[in-house]
Amino acid sequence: MAEEYKDFRKEQDYEIDTLTNDRLIKDHVYDGIRELDNDLPPWWKWLFYVTLVFGVIYLIRLYGFQAPDLIQDVEYANEMKQAEQENPTKNTEIKYERLTDAASLAEGKKLFATHCAVCHGPDGGGLIGPNFTDDYWIHGNTVEAIFGVVSNGVLEKGMTPFKDVISPKQRLQVISYVLSLHGTTPAKPKDPQGDKLDWPY
Amino acid sequence: MAIEKFKYDNQLTKCFAYATLVWGLTAMLIGLTAAFEILWPQVDLGLEWLTFGRLRPLHTNAAIFAFVGNGIFTAIYYSTPRLLKTPMWSPKLGKINFWGWQLVIVLAAITLPLGITTSKEYAELEWPIDILITIVWVVFGLNLIMTMVHRRTKHIYVAIWFYIATFVTVAVLHLGNSMELPVSFFKSYSLYAGASDALVQWWYGHNAVAFFLTTPMLGLMYYFVPKVSNRPIYSYKLSIIHFWSLIFLYIWAGPHHLLYQALPDWAQALGVTFSVALIAPSWGGMINGLLTLRGAWDKVKEDPILKLFVVGVTAYGMSTFEGPMLSLKTVNAISHFTDWTIAHVHVGTLGWNGMLIFGMLYWLVPRIFNTKLYSVSLANIHFWLATLGLLFFVIPLYFAGFTQALMWKEFTADGYLQYPNFLDTYLNIRPMHMWRALGGTLYLTGAIIAVINIVKTVKSGTFVRFEEDEAEVEVAHNAEDKGWLGHRTLEGKPLAFTFWVLIVIIIGGLVEFIPQFIQVSNKIETEEGYAIQKPYTPLELAGRDIYISEGCYNCHSQMIRPFRSEVERYGDYSKPGEYIYDHPFQWGSRRTGPDLFREGEKGGKQNRPNAWHYEHLMNPRKTNVQSIMPAYPWMATKDIDMDIIPAKIRAMQTLGVPYPDGYDKIAVEKLKAQAKVIGDDLRASGIKVDDNKQIIALIAYLQRLGSDRSGTNDVDKYISLK
Repeated sequence: MAEEYKDFRKEQDYEIDTLTNDRLIKDHVYDGIRELDNDLPPWWKWLFYVTLVFGVIYLIRLYGFQAPDLIQDVEYANEMKQAEQENPTKNTEIKYERLTDAASLAEGKKLFATHCAVCHGPDGGGLIGPNFTDDYWIHGNTVEAIFGVVSNGVLEKGMTPFKDVISPKQRLQVISYVLSLHGTTPAKPKDPQGDKLDWPY
Repeated sequence: MAIEKFKYDNQLTKCFAYATLVWGLTAMLIGLTAAFEILWPQVDLGLEWLTFGRLRPLHTNAAIFAFVGNGIFTAIYYSTPRLLKTPMWSPKLGKINFWGWQLVIVLAAITLPLGITTSKEYAELEWPIDILITIVWVVFGLNLIMTMVHRRTKHIYVAIWFYIATFVTVAVLHLGNSMELPVSFFKSYSLYAGASDALVQWWYGHNAVAFFLTTPMLGLMYYFVPKVSNRPIYSYKLSIIHFWSLIFLYIWAGPHHLLYQALPDWAQALGVTFSVALIAPSWGGMINGLLTLRGAWDKVKEDPILKLFVVGVTAYGMSTFEGPMLSLKTVNAISHFTDWTIAHVHVGTLGWNGMLIFGMLYWLVPRIFNTKLYSVSLANIHFWLATLGLLFFVIPLYFAGFTQALMWKEFTADGYLQYPNFLDTYLNIRPMHMWRALGGTLYLTGAIIAVINIVKTVKSGTFVRFEEDEAEVEVAHNAEDKGWLGHRTLEGKPLAFTFWVLIVIIIGGLVEFIPQFIQVSNKIETEEGYAIQKPYTPLELAGRDIYISEGCYNCHSQMIRPFRSEVERYGDYSKPGEYIYDHPFQWGSRRTGPDLFREGEKGGKQNRPNAWHYEHLMNPRKTNVQSIMPAYPWMATKDIDMDIIPAKIRAMQTLGVPYPDGYDKIAVEKLKAQAKVIGDDLRASGIKVDDNKQIIALIAYLQRLGSDRSGTNDVDKYISLK
């Protein structure tokens, strides 16, 4: 390519640029702008070839061989399979017990701020969802009952299921924290909803 | 040949230069305001016109089309006559180009804050303005071509090649992407839907970067870098090869904006491979710019103009290396939807575009005012502020993008998301956004100093409207030199040159669009379970148009990628068949807030009660005190526009959305029925609201999103005739 390119221009078509000793093309003058006849830098040419080869191999791998790392549905299936193997204990059985140790309650408080406060108010006084501090409960007030609500949600009322969001242990922690709010005085308590129930704990 | 005398008219150069400065400051100021709004949403003063969703498109449009747009017209109207040794063909067309372009900008500045938008990024302007843009662009192109026809030089210089590519390709892109069906004077729907709309949009969006922010700037570089440094272009051969390879390859690369999204793998692969192949052609431009300065590096140390050029061209080299890297699927899986993209584009605009344009003005303004630059030291201060501003802007954003992406993807040992609350991942990078705002402030300060310097320069000189020059008509000049592959001959035939540019830039788009369009229509007809989407109810459609109008897509994506982390957070990943009635698509490009695609799936990960949406839209700080979303209280007082509903339904029918015949006549009735159900539900929660308010429509739309696949909605009764 380079040889053929040089052939059509003769020595008299050039001048020498005194600062770089490169060859200026004589008749290339545009508003005083001159052009040198330098060849393509070899590293640049190689860079171009390498990227082109990369592209050709990439397309052949996809179009010709359906490479699994280039088909996103396959990639997804593989990622999920791996996750399943790594986390076999995602939904382990637990005991429905109210936790009272400070560490669990502190963890529960953090989880409450992250997940529950948006609907039940930062102090559990209720907002879109019901008030946790009063004696009234819509779906029961035992750990087991609340665990069911937190895990599976209450779709018709907009309560989100959390079984894929936080672990059973975390659910237990946040429920224990919620139960600890009973009897406290929130800033703006929501009116009672549900039935007045006896306090089981 | 006889020597002929003629005059250049500097009037348009001057006008465009002034416009560049005015709109440059405006664009930066709006951008900075938007940056502060992310930190403190109250910065919008509770005014709907100033919310982030409406300001962000104004910022991008102002930066691209007003600042850089006027900058490149300055360069083109100054350099083209001098390179072709003839005045611009028609001063009148030039004037129309100038005033028409300013009118487009003013109309954008009015309509975008009013929420009049198509929601297609960098093409948000509605159809009457699109027509105006087309007229102005044709006027510009006609003037450019006719000036070439009347030139005195035999050949056209590489800068002009890039101007031709700019004119031709931007025309094709603008027409292709703005195909829309008007519903009213202020509202239209894209002719394309869903994945096809996304493909066309990012063919446009990516190549707006290529042919509005790159090729004309390369033209600018090819004229002003050798002029200012008084050095020859490094390699003519490199000019030829990088020009043609650049314009051919660029047009294919659009799908890299849609990696891991609901677009076929074959199209994504083209986006990846052509983007990677673009490194060398882009760097060809950088090499030809920087190596032109060989032998003049001593001047670079002293001259702030050359310093701006060197940093600008280097920024070009950096962002054109980064772009292909971001197009690799593994990198894109991290970078996409994060601040990394924002950092990337600002290396381009603040570095490459901003620095070259200001450098050009420092050189050009003193020339047309027959004086010297008022203060070289002020220009040096500007250079340093711009460079530091750029660094303070982009480095924190790279860090922020990377950090947030990793937080989105992090799992606990038990296999749950480590940061299930999206807001936590934002609060973590908030300090980085403060640094970004500081960087923007520095850059804007530099630009203000530049404007003062240029104003003082103007005042110290007198405007030279006409410059005399002389040249011979070079018709038969060196005719036997056909050049490599006949290229020298082609440089002597600007019309043929323009034609070949058109052929070269049209191939990539066609090869991508035609199979995609055919594939979608085939699948809708033949593949069971593909067309899982039902048409939107009239209320949801009205809500969707409010979503578009408020610019929700600027912060919320509607595109769940097939990653475990996204499926855990948002629900099942998006399928192409779920978007087939989305005119236009709303996939978004940055997640400042969470994805909303499965928001409506009952029992899904993101679903919220109507009352939550109401409270959250009225004041996001009520449901989460640290939220950075703007409040939208006006939605509870503004009425849904019922009069336009039948026309919207008919427009959708024209676009192929299968509402039954005659449905437009009962659409309002159906709308009211659905609105009452939502209104009753809200009132049952103690919220006082009327059924005909905008907020009801928006809630209806959000409660529909992504729910057709799981069948957890009951919209059939609202979209049938019964």
